[in-house]
Amino acid sequence: MPLESLPSDLVSFDDQDGAVHLKVDDGLYPLEAVYAAAYVFIDRCYVLLDKPASGQTRVTLSAKKGTLAGDAARELVGEFSNELLSCAWRSQIARENRATIEAVTAQALSGARGAPSLEELEAFDFSDDAFEDPLGIAMSWEEKYAKKKGDPKATAPTPNDEAATSSVTKPEAGK
Amino acid sequence: MIELRFHRELYDGKSVDEALKIFGPHASFEQAEETAHWIVRLSAADGAREKRVAGELSNYALGLTIAAQAKKLGRAEKTTATAKQEAK
Amino acid sequence: MNLLQIRKPSTTFALPFKHRAIGKEKVLISNTEGSFLLLSHEEFRLFAEGTVPRGSEYWKRLAERNFIRGEENRDAMASQLRARKGFLSYGPNLHIVVVTLRCNETCVYCHASRANMDQVQTDMTKEIAEQTVDKILQTTNPHVTLEFQGGEPLVAFEVVKHIIDYALKQNEKAQKQLEFTMVSNLSLMDEEKVAYLVGKKVQICTSIDGPEHIHDKQRRLPQASAHQKATHWIKRINEEYARIGLDPTLYHVEALLTTTREALPQWKEIVDTYVSLGCKALFLRPVDPFGFADKTGHRIEYPRAEYMTFYRDAVDYMLELNKQGVQILERFAAIFLTKILGGEDPNFLDIRSPCGAGIGQIAYNYDGKIFTCDEGRMLHEMGDSTFLIGEVGETSYRELMGHETVRALAIASNLDAQPDCVNCTYQAYCGVCPVHNHKSQGTIFGRMRESTLCAVHKGIQDYLFEKLGSGDPAVVDIFKKWTTVRDRTHFLQSCAV
Repeated sequence: MPLESLPSDLVSFDDQDGAVHLKVDDGLYPLEAVYAAAYVFIDRCYVLLDKPASGQTRVTLSAKKGTLAGDAARELVGEFSNELLSCAWRSQIARENRATIEAVTAQALSGARGAPSLEELEAFDFSDDAFEDPLGIAMSWEEKYAKKKGDPKATAPTPNDEAATSSVTKPEAGK
Repeated sequence: MIELRFHRELYDGKSVDEALKIFGPHASFEQAEETAHWIVRLSAADGAREKRVAGELSNYALGLTIAAQAKKLGRAEKTTATAKQEAK
Repeated sequence: MNLLQIRKPSTTFALPFKHRAIGKEKVLISNTEGSFLLLSHEEFRLFAEGTVPRGSEYWKRLAERNFIRGEENRDAMASQLRARKGFLSYGPNLHIVVVTLRCNETCVYCHASRANMDQVQTDMTKEIAEQTVDKILQTTNPHVTLEFQGGEPLVAFEVVKHIIDYALKQNEKAQKQLEFTMVSNLSLMDEEKVAYLVGKKVQICTSIDGPEHIHDKQRRLPQASAHQKATHWIKRINEEYARIGLDPTLYHVEALLTTTREALPQWKEIVDTYVSLGCKALFLRPVDPFGFADKTGHRIEYPRAEYMTFYRDAVDYMLELNKQGVQILERFAAIFLTKILGGEDPNFLDIRSPCGAGIGQIAYNYDGKIFTCDEGRMLHEMGDSTFLIGEVGETSYRELMGHETVRALAIASNLDAQPDCVNCTYQAYCGVCPVHNHKSQGTIFGRMRESTLCAVHKGIQDYLFEKLGSGDPAVVDIFKKWTTVRDRTHFLQSCAV
């Protein structure tokens, strides 16, 4: 059944299941915004996502406690829509202002943390994901080139290879 | 019996599996697959319990999917950043 | 007037700016680094159309403040931004220590979720107290303010004394610019405690909710008047400061107001009460949704539009008193004006970008649990431990600062990432509280259009810019005085008196 003053082709209420359904246009709201908005509601609602048609995501919300009806259903779907819009806009802003946001966050956190002690460096877990090494930068020379023994192109690094490695590692070292 | 349909483009399969493991003791589950969906049919002692387990399982699978997605995005961005550095 | 009313807006004349109508006659423009101008509608039209006569006085005003493309002084812009974000280079300065949850008063809005007087298990142990001090002194910030809170800290006075003694001893090695403050209802104060606190240079701050009838109704003290107790000790402590030769205009007990529905019509009585107590500042804080206030909201809450009427009436009255020579400032106004007129950030942790959660302040609970801020600790007492980041004996300082919650809050409170805020004329001066967002909207990011905090911040800045644009030089002078911060060096532990 439709909900008062909300477009019936986008929003409907299933009074048997006590759930509201909201259809979201993927062209207007990126999936990351749908995820972000959905996540905000999982403490008070059961949230299920589906794709009823191409270019469309359907969000189903049902209350965890009590039954959902009337004004409460309308309020819930309204709040979700506002949150969804906010998340979509935030995701766009985050992309546009990424450099500023990263610079401020990095400065704030590094300023607050300070330099690590020797004990902390010793205990540091270098196997962390962030240190995945797709370019083989952290490998020893022997490890890096031993793999390619059978490859006729595999030779000792040239000065040019060295330069290429430096251009990748330099920005990291500055972090 | 409640049927949950997890769309493959929206849910991470491993996350759905993980959620099933967690909620396994609370209901009996049957799994099936369709082209676009992973399907979970669950039955519990009574209707209220069934509804609750279905809801919690959905939320759990969604939460894990979002976490997995964020990790993937982080990796993709890292790779893009590395590629940009290389291009310089 | 707004951009939609401009017939032929120029896309090349102006550097990026934001604008907002101020009253009926002015338009405020501001930029990223926080420069601003209040323009008449005609001036705004010329600016937006890009037809300001080159070399005119108006052109120079715009160019000086980096509003004209091609005229920008990038060094000046960079140095302004640096000044506004200076706080980013250091870690937490404010360390709130809850020495007990016990309290002898029952407040209708108690944000701290106080415990009854027999709940002695909520007193901090000496061991946890020492571990807390050790953690505090590890901050990368050379300035440390250790603030005693509760509950009522005078209930656990022995713990307070132990912390002060231990911190002073440990600070011989740490060499921080250490200050102690205490937030107390003062009802358990006595001469011995006054002598100790004044002798140890502990700044004292209390709560005054206005005249006696409001204060005593909202802050219940069994068989006594909470107001009479508090005002008695305010006067007595101020006398003591004067006796040891401290300037009373600078050194006096500070007091805070929590504005409830009942207080709204009493703005004049509230201001008069503060002035009569010798207070030089009044902080017109709205009630927060934490602690008991969450349950009593139906009795004490109000729409923020009503709060803004109260705020405007109260500050108008304070301005009139200032014109008559009375020294009294409103704390919100002083914080915003320091940013607006002074071009600097006073580092008020709740109104900065990013906010101070974790990276600017930490709250230590009686049991050693550590939170990003006092609001986060308040939520923990309500059963939500989202903002718990560690324990004093277990979590290292760097683990605290690198905690995922601290990182999330630094991003969530960065106004460059916040819908609405990115387009707001007040962005350079404002700040959001992710803990408030989490409590009131279920998301640390929040939706500013629905946020009561945003309504208050915007409303206050609207008021201040209206006053700045009113053309009353006396008001501008008073506002400038409100931004003058005189350091209270007496309270610095490492400085000789």
